[in-house]
Amino acid sequence: MGPADLLETGRAQASSVSYRGATKRYAGADAPAVDALDLEVPAGDICVLVGPSGCGKTTALRMVNRTVEITEGDILIGDRSVRAGDAASLRREIGYVIQQVGLFPHRTIAANIATVPNLLGWDRDRVERRIDELLDLVSLDPELRDRYPAQLSGGQQQRVGVARALAADPPAMLMDEPFGAIDPINRERLQNEFLRLHAAIRKTTLFVTHDIDEAIKMGDRIAVLREHGRLAHYATPAVLLMASAAVFVEDFVGADRALKRLALLRVSDIALWEAPLAFVGQATAEVRRKLDGADVPYALLVDSDRRPLGWLSEVDLRADLVPAAPGSRPEPLLDLDDVMRDALSDLLQAETRYAPVVDGSGRIAGVLSVEIISEFLTSVEALTDEHSAAERPVA
Amino acid sequence: MIAVATAHPTASLVLASGGSDFIRNRSGGGCIQDNGAFCAGWVIDNFDRYTTPALQHLVLVSVSVALGFAIAFLLALLSHRWRWLVPPVTGVTGVLYTIPSIAFFFLLLPITGRGADTAIIALTAYTLQIIYRNIVVGLRNVPAEARDAGRGMGMTDRQLLWRVELPLALPEIVGGLRIATVSTVALATLAVFAGGGGLGSQIVAGSNITFRTGVITAGGIAILMAIGFDAILVGAQRVLTPWRRVRPG
Repeated sequence: MGPADLLETGRAQASSVSYRGATKRYAGADAPAVDALDLEVPAGDICVLVGPSGCGKTTALRMVNRTVEITEGDILIGDRSVRAGDAASLRREIGYVIQQVGLFPHRTIAANIATVPNLLGWDRDRVERRIDELLDLVSLDPELRDRYPAQLSGGQQQRVGVARALAADPPAMLMDEPFGAIDPINRERLQNEFLRLHAAIRKTTLFVTHDIDEAIKMGDRIAVLREHGRLAHYATPAVLLMASAAVFVEDFVGADRALKRLALLRVSDIALWEAPLAFVGQATAEVRRKLDGADVPYALLVDSDRRPLGWLSEVDLRADLVPAAPGSRPEPLLDLDDVMRDALSDLLQAETRYAPVVDGSGRIAGVLSVEIISEFLTSVEALTDEHSAAERPVA
Repeated sequence: MIAVATAHPTASLVLASGGSDFIRNRSGGGCIQDNGAFCAGWVIDNFDRYTTPALQHLVLVSVSVALGFAIAFLLALLSHRWRWLVPPVTGVTGVLYTIPSIAFFFLLLPITGRGADTAIIALTAYTLQIIYRNIVVGLRNVPAEARDAGRGMGMTDRQLLWRVELPLALPEIVGGLRIATVSTVALATLAVFAGGGGLGSQIVAGSNITFRTGVITAGGIAILMAIGFDAILVGAQRVLTPWRRVRPG
């Protein structure tokens, strides 16, 4: 069952979330924790609130479901003020995921997921059906239904946390460092899973993190906050990385801005070099001619379907005909869909300057070299405050 | 009662040979004549004399602990809502707890008269401190993130209390009840001084305190009762907290 067939998820329309001069002042504090924040999150987007610790990002997030009460200003979900009505019913309409997950240790996985439907008084059959749908949606084994949280791994617990937040199909979701307590490898997987899930359900999501890499990866938009919840910058990840609108952003994003931009590109987004190809049994003289003036100084041996077999060495080309066993394996072998940052790290790890790139069916599409990436990085550094360049569409 | 206070081992035979009921009931041969450590034959012949005191004891303990739990629970919920109540309530229940038990009975006698009621009032007062503190600590130890998640998903304070906080505090609450129950089984042997009956009538009342077999039998019944109560509470906790028995997977 794919997410699109689900009975409940996606029924409710996602709503925009709008901060209108939202302010939080704690009694006895000199400065407000969040000072007149204006922020417009379009329906269906993931907006990441990022900033140094103590900048008020969590406070800003919690003002949406009134776990922190607004002192002045307002926040609208759709066109309805969060300040209208009572806090408990507001919260039942907003998904909520926290860093420590906060599963109820005394309740089974099924009962945890059913928390909000039960609060809303759904009938039993509907709740049971919903639990099955959600376990499927977050890729959890239905057998986990009757387990207790302590029996699950951290990653599984976090998936249950997301399922629980989605249970009543809320128009908006709040996620407070949801993957902060997960180890890096599982975090990456959970991030990817959530992005896939989000693509299917398109819930407006406010996502707090202190990790700029996570912000870039997860956000349709990134709101960079500085002290007292002041909005330093609000843009798409690509614009944020290209433009330095505020010194703060530069400081926060850091000097490796161009490198980070590689995380937004795929190998297919960049012009590759053409590889001098060689086929088994071909005359080596023909191959040598191809090598003259080619970008890559080595010939790539491919099979009859143009799938890379390996690089030919000088020794290989001394014979009259191209041998069937090349001097070196075609490693690393990159894919057009690979993220540029990963591709670069593969090149560096293999201590090689060139890597063949293949398309979805394994046929050679070109060669990526360290030089190509280096040229790209130089061109990014040259571009400052040029929005026209920054807004170039990226994958 | 005054006789008890002054009784000492050598007085026992004098009292026992006084031609009262006791002589006949203490049939059982040499063991009884010598006031042996434990005369099994006598216990078998006279076991029925413990039935009523044991039942009285059971009622004293059950009612006192139940009442104590009801009062302590209410106080704990109020203190959970209004934190400033914790120190005064702890102070007052603590003072009650430190009053020597026999003194407590005598203090109550002029007000409430002799009888089970008086005993129950005192015994209840003794349970408050332990049960109250355990409930308060149990509620305080509920993981903050469970509370945050519950509130953030739209539970009212009452729903949070009954669906999250109290279930998670259950192990501590039962822990308090276990200590309170076992100590009440022991304390209730003194209820006889307030005219409350119970197993104490076979231990400390009249000349019984000098009759080893009787003291040991009544004490043994009290110990078995304490073990029984404890087993019931442990069993109840296991049934009520299945999540505590799972293995991390």
